[in-house]
Amino acid sequence: MKKIIAGAFALALTSTAAFAQAYPTKPITMIVPFAAGGPTDIIARIVAEPMSRTLGQQVVIENVAGAGGTTGITRASAAAADGYTIMMGHMGTHGAAPALYPNLKYDPAKDFAPIGLAAGTPIIIVARKTHPANDLKEFIAWAKKEGDKANHAHAGVGSVSHSTGILLNSIMGTKPTFIPYTGTGPALNDMLSGQVDYMTDQIVNVVSQINAGTIKAFAIATPARSPALPNLPTTKEAGLDSYEVSAWNAMFAPKGTPPEIVAKLNDALVKGLDDAGARKRFDELGAVVPDAAGRTPAALQKLVESEVARWTPVLKEAMAAAKK
Amino acid sequence: MTDQASTGPDRPSGISGRMTQDVVAGLFLIAIAAFFLYHARGLPLGSLRAMGPGMLPTSIAWIMGAGGALLMVLSLISGGAVMTRPHVRGLFFVLGGIFLFGLTIRSLGLVVAGPAAMIFASFATEEVRPLEATIFAVVMTGFCILLFKYALGLPIPVVAFM
Amino acid sequence: MDIISNLALGFGVAFTVQNMFLCFIGCMIGTLVGVLPGVGPVATIAMLLPITFGLDPTGALIMLAGIYYGAQYGGSTTAILVNIPGEATSVVTTLDGHQMAKQGRAGVALGVSALGSFFAGCVATIFIAALGVPLTRLAQLFGPAEYFSLMVMGLVFSTVLARGSILKALLMVFLGLLLATVGTDLETGQERVTLGIQQLSDGIDFAPLAMGIFGFAEIISNLENPEARDVVRGKIGKLLPSWADIKQSTLPVLRGTFIGGLLGILPGNGAVLGPFASYALEKKIAKDPSRFGKGAIEGVAGPESANNAGAQTAFIPLLTLGIPPNAVMALMVGAMTIHGIIPGPQVMTKNPDLFWGMIASMWLGNAMLVIINLPLIGIWVKLLKVPYRLMFPAILIFCCIGIYSINNSVEDVYFTAFFALLGYVMIKLGFEPAPMLLGFVLGKLMEEKLRQALILSRGSFSTFVERPVSAGLLAVAAIMLIIALLPSINKKRDIAFQE
Repeated sequence: MKKIIAGAFALALTSTAAFAQAYPTKPITMIVPFAAGGPTDIIARIVAEPMSRTLGQQVVIENVAGAGGTTGITRASAAAADGYTIMMGHMGTHGAAPALYPNLKYDPAKDFAPIGLAAGTPIIIVARKTHPANDLKEFIAWAKKEGDKANHAHAGVGSVSHSTGILLNSIMGTKPTFIPYTGTGPALNDMLSGQVDYMTDQIVNVVSQINAGTIKAFAIATPARSPALPNLPTTKEAGLDSYEVSAWNAMFAPKGTPPEIVAKLNDALVKGLDDAGARKRFDELGAVVPDAAGRTPAALQKLVESEVARWTPVLKEAMAAAKK
Repeated sequence: MTDQASTGPDRPSGISGRMTQDVVAGLFLIAIAAFFLYHARGLPLGSLRAMGPGMLPTSIAWIMGAGGALLMVLSLISGGAVMTRPHVRGLFFVLGGIFLFGLTIRSLGLVVAGPAAMIFASFATEEVRPLEATIFAVVMTGFCILLFKYALGLPIPVVAFM
Repeated sequence: MDIISNLALGFGVAFTVQNMFLCFIGCMIGTLVGVLPGVGPVATIAMLLPITFGLDPTGALIMLAGIYYGAQYGGSTTAILVNIPGEATSVVTTLDGHQMAKQGRAGVALGVSALGSFFAGCVATIFIAALGVPLTRLAQLFGPAEYFSLMVMGLVFSTVLARGSILKALLMVFLGLLLATVGTDLETGQERVTLGIQQLSDGIDFAPLAMGIFGFAEIISNLENPEARDVVRGKIGKLLPSWADIKQSTLPVLRGTFIGGLLGILPGNGAVLGPFASYALEKKIAKDPSRFGKGAIEGVAGPESANNAGAQTAFIPLLTLGIPPNAVMALMVGAMTIHGIIPGPQVMTKNPDLFWGMIASMWLGNAMLVIINLPLIGIWVKLLKVPYRLMFPAILIFCCIGIYSINNSVEDVYFTAFFALLGYVMIKLGFEPAPMLLGFVLGKLMEEKLRQALILSRGSFSTFVERPVSAGLLAVAAIMLIIALLPSINKKRDIAFQE
């Protein structure tokens, strides 16, 4: 049936329209390119629930982890463009990946039909409890003075904390020594015991430590303060306005998915973001939901293009430096 | 790198009666070491104080290769157990069954992949009873579908071709 | 006493009809899924995580904890019955546990494992309730240098795992270390020996490696020797451990609980060393170490207790620091987060009912496990009576589905087939897989910690001896190595002469 539609161009318009009207007639698979339980997976699951209700078909999460999320996205991009396989990409897979993975088999800006931006988690600059600086200005001065004596932890090449950390240093003009970890957990552990000085990470990973006072936070890299940490200034307020990043998550379909189907999915996603139950859970996570203008497929396409342009030079330079 | 083992001499009276298990084992380790050394050749070693990506693969491969050589020498001196013939039938059908599963699970789904893999693998033993194996495979597949797909809700393809 | 009132609060939460029911269901399905060959605790929890999403946070976590214990225990059952370890910590259980099964003592092995685990679970629960918070300070003594030294100590244990030649066992450890280097380099992001295969860029996964090397290679080898597998279904023997068995296991269980519980506190996945350390200790102090690897009950009782104690105390870094020490705990973080509870130092003060409820449910879960599993032993043992010509295709299909489901990845299934071939070759060449898996598991952590420590010390090796904890661990490793090598050199000569 599907093959006939794809083959007969003359019939394509009428049949796809009919096809789209009936869509969805079976469960939709959403590929999440990370293991169950991570921030992207949690956001995908929160939004999948109201989407299933709107669409009248189950949105099933399939976790395909590996290589900073690029394994899952590569597979999803090659799936049939019939609206039954969609994916949750994020800042790494659709922004930083082209710079980090030279053999990447997809182009974030060209190989997808964007559906819309979902919730994103803000990035926070944190430091060990005993850190001498008390605010962002003092911290920047400290990082400049220490040079490579400063220890900057990150959660592994390709992780959000790695990319956003490199960006921070590039904006501050500092060259610390990087200490690579294999996840936020071990990095935080060495920060708790004071072995490493600072790192950047998603709010959900550090909020509890900040509230308990076991680590210091200097600023949150979003335009507005987070209700989860009302006393934490934004980077703009603290004097580093060019550092504005978030680990955004967004839904994509494979390239060539009929626009009617994309529109249906976008509508379901938008309704899902406004769902009261979902909103409550996003707030608990400290996740930020985009405004109405930011939820369209066109806005997402623009975001992907600007993110690739932003990350590529910074990360390429940093990776070349690390290999020396 | 596994060639040595399958084509290795399995007759006790081989070339000189000295191709013992440990001689082949040594060759096997040397082959793996060489494989790693070849593929890690482009990676910077760095220094002991600032290790590069190539440091550990290269040094561990050298140690293991040297150990393999030692194993060979010891065995050449003092002999040891002799290689036995590999069970080609078991290897072929068990590995083949796994491959069949991999080939068909995404394209055709568990209804095909399950019985295909199980029936094929059943022939790994001389005791196979084709009819029994087929019935058992179908019943087990049905059980797996009920368990994994419906009871546990895993996103495993059941009838992917429809 | 604070702890009494806290525990009372916890038991108040856990002993509601609903939560007890959830705990029971969790243990039950955890056991049933975890017992499937090819499905270890991580896979089980990842699979079952979504079914807890509809519950209230406390209920969901209690059920999840039940699934965790069930899966853990189910994994040991598979290790004993069919020689397939579901995760690193049950590798040791295969050594003597499966040998016992082959001797018709599967029921005894399973019984000792259940009772030892229950004891370890009870002790660990009290331990967490009483000392969980102060112990987190101990965890902070451990930086990269200390972990590296701990892993060195772990490698020294590996020589003890060998049943045959020490040289061959050591070489297997190196093979494991070598396989652990495959994947993206930590520091530079360069690909190492990945052969351009995308799935290898995160390194080799434990599950395909263990399933291939142990499970499938064992199947092929069993098909080759009909006598070997006939023993398994030949006679069944006693279903439960006798008084003498229990007496023989008591001290190993106590020691295993202590070692496993202590190592489990470390936020850097120290629990993985627990069973290995316990096995090494039991073998060292045994009157006749040659019984080990041939079905010694101490080799099951000690490591299984260590395994369960460690599995439990691994909750300490999660609940008090918010740091997940291993993959299973990382899934727990996800489960807590999805219910709006961000794990960290504040869980205890902000959600005391959840915190203490969970601790109480640990004990409850362990009790349920014994209740569920002692009667099940009879069924498991009877499964061994299924003719092998039917049993092995069933194992094969469960393994395939399990491996596939971990990452929804066909490539993982192919990797398993490849490792099965490698494992079969290893069996033919007289190599043992357990030391290799230990080398593999420790290798990843060891390289990471070695390089972190050297970056932090800016290249100075003295960091390993200047830091007192690290120096102490290295000293223990050195002493153990000397003790281990001295007699074994003599023994090896004896064996060589016999041949």
